[in-house]
Amino acid sequence: MSNDIKAISMPKWGMEMSEGVVGDWHVNVGDNVSAGDDLVDIETSKIVNTVTASESGVLRLIIGKTGDTLDVGAILGVLADAQTSDAEIQAFANGLSKQGITEDVQESKAAAAEITSTEPVHQTAATSELKSTPAATSTDTSNSLSSLAAGDDDSQLHASPIARRLAKQYGVNLHNINGTGRYGRISKHDLETAVSNAGGSLIAQQAPRSQPQRIRDDSAVKATPVARRMAKDLGINLNDCRNSGNRGRVCKADVEALASLSNKQTAPEPTTVAAPVENPLTSQAMSGMRKTIAERLQSSKQTAPHFRVQIDANIDALLTVRKQINAANTQAKVSVNDFIVKACATALAQFPAVNVQFDGQTIKQFKHADISVAVAIDEGLITPIVKSSDTKGLIEISNEVRDLATRAKLGRLKPEEFQGGTFCVSNLGMFGIKQFDAIINPPQGAILAVGAGEQKAIVTNGSIVIATVLTLTLSSDHRIIDGATAAQFMSTLKGFIEQPATMLG
Amino acid sequence: MTKQQYDLIVVGGGPGGYVAAIRAAQLGFKTALIEKQELGGVCLNWGCIPTKALLRGADVAHTLKEAEHFGFNLGEVTFDIKKLVQHSRSTASKLSQGIGYLMKKNGITVIKGTASLLDKDLLAVTTDNNTINCSAKHIILATGATARNLPSIKIDGDRIWGAREAMTPTQLPEKLLVIGAGAIGVEFASLYNDLGSEVTLVEALERITPAEDEEISALAKKAFTKRGIKILTNTTLTKLTTSSNCATAILNSNGEEQSITVDRVILAVGISGNIQQLGLETLGVKTDRGFICTDEFNKTNVVGLYAIGDVAGPPWLAHKASHEAVICVEKIAGVDGVKALNKTRIPGCTYCRPQIASIGLTEAQAVAKGYELRVGRFNLSANGKALAMHDAEGLVKTIFDKNSGELLGAHMIGPEVTEQIQGFGIAQQLEATEHELLHTVFAHPTISEAMHESILDGLGIAIHQ
Repeated sequence: MSNDIKAISMPKWGMEMSEGVVGDWHVNVGDNVSAGDDLVDIETSKIVNTVTASESGVLRLIIGKTGDTLDVGAILGVLADAQTSDAEIQAFANGLSKQGITEDVQESKAAAAEITSTEPVHQTAATSELKSTPAATSTDTSNSLSSLAAGDDDSQLHASPIARRLAKQYGVNLHNINGTGRYGRISKHDLETAVSNAGGSLIAQQAPRSQPQRIRDDSAVKATPVARRMAKDLGINLNDCRNSGNRGRVCKADVEALASLSNKQTAPEPTTVAAPVENPLTSQAMSGMRKTIAERLQSSKQTAPHFRVQIDANIDALLTVRKQINAANTQAKVSVNDFIVKACATALAQFPAVNVQFDGQTIKQFKHADISVAVAIDEGLITPIVKSSDTKGLIEISNEVRDLATRAKLGRLKPEEFQGGTFCVSNLGMFGIKQFDAIINPPQGAILAVGAGEQKAIVTNGSIVIATVLTLTLSSDHRIIDGATAAQFMSTLKGFIEQPATMLG
Repeated sequence: MTKQQYDLIVVGGGPGGYVAAIRAAQLGFKTALIEKQELGGVCLNWGCIPTKALLRGADVAHTLKEAEHFGFNLGEVTFDIKKLVQHSRSTASKLSQGIGYLMKKNGITVIKGTASLLDKDLLAVTTDNNTINCSAKHIILATGATARNLPSIKIDGDRIWGAREAMTPTQLPEKLLVIGAGAIGVEFASLYNDLGSEVTLVEALERITPAEDEEISALAKKAFTKRGIKILTNTTLTKLTTSSNCATAILNSNGEEQSITVDRVILAVGISGNIQQLGLETLGVKTDRGFICTDEFNKTNVVGLYAIGDVAGPPWLAHKASHEAVICVEKIAGVDGVKALNKTRIPGCTYCRPQIASIGLTEAQAVAKGYELRVGRFNLSANGKALAMHDAEGLVKTIFDKNSGELLGAHMIGPEVTEQIQGFGIAQQLEATEHELLHTVFAHPTISEAMHESILDGLGIAIHQ
């Protein structure tokens, strides 16, 4: 292999850069280039900059095509003298693709080393021949640019709103910018000057790209692995997602929220099967939410031995109280279900053994009742949580449930608002369902299924009276909740529902 | 009875209501809009838009009068007011249909009927054929407002006009009396004067356009008087009698009574909120002097019930209603970073000739709030573009807080100032100081250069005066 053959590889500008998008090539294959000539533009999530030739030669091969997203160190092209044969050039390029990465700039891309030669060449990185410095990049530029990023919290510095926003986009710390405005205020101009002086050019000065969504680098966005994969499948750029996960990470719910907002199904569009069958059908891959529901409920039903207890409750008194409260207080729009949530909260406080989570090993018993309330939404079901509901009043619970349900339907819940919970209430009464059995929402230990209130003839003290009755069914995980405990809990719950005043205590 | 279920219902299809419905639909609410008349509300059908169409006619009349100055000899010019009214009505109807299209595009159910609250989450809607019940967790009231009558004098639609009759005349009144010199009264006075009526404008307070800065009011009065509009301030209407062909008014100016006989009278003495027959009393919704009370995010005292726009109190402006609509809906949806509307940053525009536009505090208000002021003025008589247009009567007045440099208020009178006030609005919103504005380049020749000069004047460095 000739020593005159040089690889042009994806430079690393700044600590956070892990990949770049190949922009326009300034030279064509076969062109002579001199040291210092502009070769190709590279766009990162922060800046656009130009790779220059470190020495003279002829551009023999372009591997990174305009629009390709390549890892740092990946070969963009090959530079050699005119005498070198095409075969040698090709062998050199293939050779690079076989050897993995040795550069210190690469740590996360170890997997690339395993890529065989049948993989596209540009997916692998530079060779040991390149030493630690990419052959054709201007390291001065990258150093001075990255130096702009360093520094302490700059949120207190005096800067115009535009300068502050641009600094964030470019990854520039405002401490490194010399403010020339009044009282040292940093203007947009100051920021641009500093970036240009450091050898960078400004994103806005570049012609818009045809597919900005796809090529915006989101590799530096902090995201959970699931979120990253889901975003890739859905063609969503992580930069567009909110980051409500732990430590500011984009989590799965964030990707799903964006997907549902942009009306993207979390699965491909349903395809109509054109087969000549009498009954036409559509098949649809499961959405992310549907998969989660399926997995969790299947696992729950298979692993948790469901033990069910059922009880009827007379809600005439409750209906009267509800009417009184709603009439007396303009801030109250309390539903029957709100009463049931409140009753569960009060009963759970008395029966902490039901207020539990179980992972198969450890039983976690909670002080406060975080009650999940099942809300049907277009894509499936979500269970926002009324936290510490045992410490809240009926109206407070009611207004919180309304807000949670509103935002659940719009896909605007934060993950912490629907993940967790120590007990669940599911109500199908509004559909006229008399009673049903619900499946426990793991890792919770029990779920209450609420049917419709209906007028019935019941026998009390030897006479027949008309009463509004609803049926409550508790499904509990029999591994951790005993039958007697469940029964006592239900009996207490019935008491609170039938005599709402007793919840006041 | 069937019950329709929605996530959010808006009552009223004006610039508050229809914007609320669109924003709600964008955010994913299953949304319904209830309107008893035409989509677009008063603004689009009987207010802002049709009056602007008429005032364009007044501009044309004024231009024709000036034609000779520019060398044109037009001879006798005839005018058919019916055609002008037709232009106004067709403009309104076109825009109303546009709102219908927007509703459809956003998947909003439009119900034509009159709504009344039965419960916190339940409305009875009376349509032409029947009554349906509609329920939603969130109900936004955007029912607007109606022109007020005086205690003893009511709009009769014949001799005594409200705004609605005043914008659909079948013939031009020879003599016209306009009661009330707020934005609506002043616009009609200007319109009919330009079209050729003999106009008398009466105001109970001491100056016309009483909400504007005093200097602006004074200049408006001067310009109106020069045009031949008779202005009576500190004057009240004590008695109004009508006959088949005229109306006679007894006016009291500081104790002195005078009688005036005219063809028509326009009553423009303010508006009151449309809060009747909404079922507010049964739910205990708090109201104050004819308007629904709300918090800064337009929540009423009743849970799940909101009020926006004119019915929720001043300023009674379409753009205020639209902004409240978006804020209210986004707050319900839990959109991050929703901020309450800053009511000191809402521009107000009056489309008389010369136009009046303002934002923020008047000088008197700023003084009363204890600010140390830096006031600048620039007269349009020194503005090249205004002189070239032969329309150089006007003033720009800017009021800054001397200490912080904040733009507290800006007041303008002159040609096209309603199109320029947004410049000061942006400056206020971005919290620009006089120094940022000082270094902003204003194009030459434009009337807006006067805005720049006014700021310079405040600093004592105006170039052209």
